Amino acid sequence: MFKSLKLIVKLSPIFILGALGFTTNSFAQEKVIRIGLLYPISGPGSYFGVMGREGTDLAIEQLNKTGVKGYKFVVDYNDSQCSPLAATNVVKKTLENFKPHIVVGEECSDATLAVAPILEEAKVPLLNAGSATMKLTESGYKYAFRIFPNARQQTDSLAVNAYRKMNAKTAVLLYEKTNAGIDISDTFERTFTLLGGKVLARIDFARDVNDFTSIATRIASLGPVDVLLTSALEGQTVKLTQALAQAGITKGGGGKAVQIGTIWLPWGFDQKAGKASVGYTRIAQFDPSEQRPIVQNFVKAYKAKYGADKVPTHINAHAYDTIMIIAEAVRKGATDSESLRNEMLKMKDVEVTTGKITFGPDGQNQNMSVIHYVETQPDLSWKSLNW
Amino acid sequence: MSDLASLIIQQSINGVVMGCLYVMVALGLTLIYGVMNQINFAHADFVTLGAFASYFFVQWMGGGYLLSIGVAFIAGGILGYLINLMIFAPLRDRGDELRPLIATIGASILIENGSLVVFGPIPYQYDTPYAETIRIGKIFFTEQSLFVVVVASAAIAGLYAFMKFTFTGKALRAISQDRETAGLMGINQAFLIMLTIVIASALAGMAGALLGPILVLTPFAGASVVVKAFAIVIIGGFGNMEGTIIAGLLVGLIEAFTTQYLGSGVIDLVVFGLLLVMLLVKPTGLIAEKKEENV
Repeated sequence: MFKSLKLIVKLSPIFILGALGFTTNSFAQEKVIRIGLLYPISGPGSYFGVMGREGTDLAIEQLNKTGVKGYKFVVDYNDSQCSPLAATNVVKKTLENFKPHIVVGEECSDATLAVAPILEEAKVPLLNAGSATMKLTESGYKYAFRIFPNARQQTDSLAVNAYRKMNAKTAVLLYEKTNAGIDISDTFERTFTLLGGKVLARIDFARDVNDFTSIATRIASLGPVDVLLTSALEGQTVKLTQALAQAGITKGGGGKAVQIGTIWLPWGFDQKAGKASVGYTRIAQFDPSEQRPIVQNFVKAYKAKYGADKVPTHINAHAYDTIMIIAEAVRKGATDSESLRNEMLKMKDVEVTTGKITFGPDGQNQNMSVIHYVETQPDLSWKSLNW
Repeated sequence: MSDLASLIIQQSINGVVMGCLYVMVALGLTLIYGVMNQINFAHADFVTLGAFASYFFVQWMGGGYLLSIGVAFIAGGILGYLINLMIFAPLRDRGDELRPLIATIGASILIENGSLVVFGPIPYQYDTPYAETIRIGKIFFTEQSLFVVVVASAAIAGLYAFMKFTFTGKALRAISQDRETAGLMGINQAFLIMLTIVIASALAGMAGALLGPILVLTPFAGASVVVKAFAIVIIGGFGNMEGTIIAGLLVGLIEAFTTQYLGSGVIDLVVFGLLLVMLLVKPTGLIAEKKEENV
């Protein structure tokens, strides 16, 4: 007992110094905005995480050079794996340990939907950039924000353009069996059939499907089809696009059908899919060749940091934009979770690399300038369609 | 040829191609189980690493795709040797079947995450030189599909002949039937078990090279195929080569026709439903492995 007391007395200066250090550290942290990041760093969607981290690191580096109204930004990366379970676990961990003022993520709708109620309860805003599911902004969450056009915003536009501009009367819906895939297919079907179009088949598939030859065979057996709405991650879409071309269904394989899609595929998809992707018409939220100064400055800074041969994708841009939006809220006076939420709700036409952002009362970006149509050309470049 | 006939032929071709690939992966699993009564949960990663070995041999070293299959075969064999050296051999004689099983799960996680660090998470696009589409009337298939069927058939036939007609193959079968008696007959168990793991892993590597242009090539690619391979091994009869070959082709065909008539979204439901039915009705699998009981 006496020995223990002596030990405590001997160690007490260390505890006192430690406590002082902690207090000093706490003071230092008062001028910091903590951003929790939920990115899939492993698993089939992990390219989202890698690209997201690149965009985030670039934005943080730029902002922290001078700070914003005396605030610096610190981030906590978490591997949410595009999975509801993993995302739930890491969001709880970051809330407990890192105590973020705001959380950015996830890319995959299923994971985003899993964390939204947890952040709602914690009253910490969620700023989402890559999930399309309608449920995120239709569930009445007060702390959920999204700069990405939701499934309806994307597919209403796509269905109208497919029917009117591409003169499509028949469609096949190909989609991964996730909230995002289902929502996009549902909303497209509703609008397309209302206009007078006909959906010949809905074909869903799990994320572990590798060979799409049987699916292509089935589509070929359906008879002539005008457009094939495709909603899947890049890896599967490459294989699917190649299988459709091999079956002679799509333009890339000498057929007549055109693959169409919402925002799923990063810049560089066309090179991976090769000639099979010719004619693929889709929405791209970010076009690195766009001449707006904010886009060209971002491309320049990205190349300077990551290599002159690299071109930023919409995923890099999403991540960069989310951090810049948080910085904009801080610039307007936000200092904590509640004020970040309030300032974001007030935002109107804030220019970012993917377009302009105006959050509606439900937290959804209302500005459709983020939707750009592109078509893959025979040399695998993009042609902007100006729709 | 009527539309229905060509559709049936087309989906049968699709099913056989996938079936051949499944058999290539499943044979390794069944071989290890047949000889050692063990399951290698790192088998999926051998498939993945075989695919990467082939990819880098072609893309970085400028080697031919055909030769890259041999490279993947050797790479798989080396990995098998290492996993035997580090996991199976040290744990074999402790009389505990659970420890090697858990250790292979650990090895799998280690390989996957190590691969993630080395190769990164962004899918690799592995273009085969056999990408041309062959069309016969309404039927189509790629040169790669034809190549897969030819190489897989040759590999399966080679393995079958090795097991049936060579002394080493017979010795392996003797160990699988009764390890103790085989040992008393002077068969070197440790060497043959090592050889089994090397052959099984080499086959997995080879399967990876064949699957490379088909898979979404990431460090997790093999897992999607191995889950089916486990089902095939159980449906075919754990440890039985003939059963595994039949079950592999059957699953490939079931997948193709399920996609056509029920939808690709229910493939797993059908395949694993069949697995459950098999376990209930004929738990020994399509062809039961004959094992002598010691009296």
